Amino acid sequence: MMRPNNYNNTCNMCHGNCRDKMKMLRALDFAIQETVLYLDAYPDNQQALDYYHQLIEQRKEVMEEYEKACGPINMYGNKSHTSWDWVNNPWPWEHDAN
Amino acid sequence: MWTYEKKLQYPVKIKNPNPQLAQLIITQLGGPDGELGASMRYLNQRYSMPYKEVTGILTDVGTEELAHLEMIAAIVYQLTRNLKEEDIAGTPFATYFVDHTTGVYPVAASGVPYDMKYIAVKGDIIADLNEDLAADAAIPQMQPLSKKHRNPL
Repeated sequence: MMRPNNYNNTCNMCHGNCRDKMKMLRALDFAIQETVLYLDAYPDNQQALDYYHQLIEQRKEVMEEYEKACGPINMYGNKSHTSWDWVNNPWPWEHDAN
Repeated sequence: MWTYEKKLQYPVKIKNPNPQLAQLIITQLGGPDGELGASMRYLNQRYSMPYKEVTGILTDVGTEELAHLEMIAAIVYQLTRNLKEEDIAGTPFATYFVDHTTGVYPVAASGVPYDMKYIAVKGDIIADLNEDLAADAAIPQMQPLSKKHRNPL
């Protein structure tokens, strides 16, 4: 059944805590992205590989917290067994999601 | 394969819609030096790349270009939200609006739809890396007119 976009009433993203978590996730993903590109070119650099694993550990934690409290980031992360939050939360290009 | 991450690489929150600006910014989506071209360039060149390091970089950079594509689309989308016909009539955005309304369609600023002719994939490492260097050199072209020069090497 099609439902109207009613996420304004249920907007978990509007919760300040979720904004902070999203900011943290973005910062980690930026660092991971750059480290990955570096490792592609220098796969034998142990220091970069250690830094990569440190970031990945942090991301796992933040991701778990975010998806539990704020909704799924990817299609594997719909934590609720009673609602399909994937479509009910705002999409990232929406003004109010940022 | 790819999976979608439901977040922007960097947040986009535009207070004031501005169709004139959208009409220029959209070239970074579907123009000759846009993100769609960038992602298609790297993601298609990688199959014939003989060095595993370069294949990795093309895969990861090409994927990141898709994230850039989404940010640019978000900018265009938000710059054209809640517009009425009278906000658009007489602006440079009107010619886009008549075909696409406020849908996000990859075109150049001139109105030409995105074309794979903007990129090259030759299956030759020297040819393809030169194509990538040329694409990178296109970045100063996107700067304001006063900055459109390179300092002598």
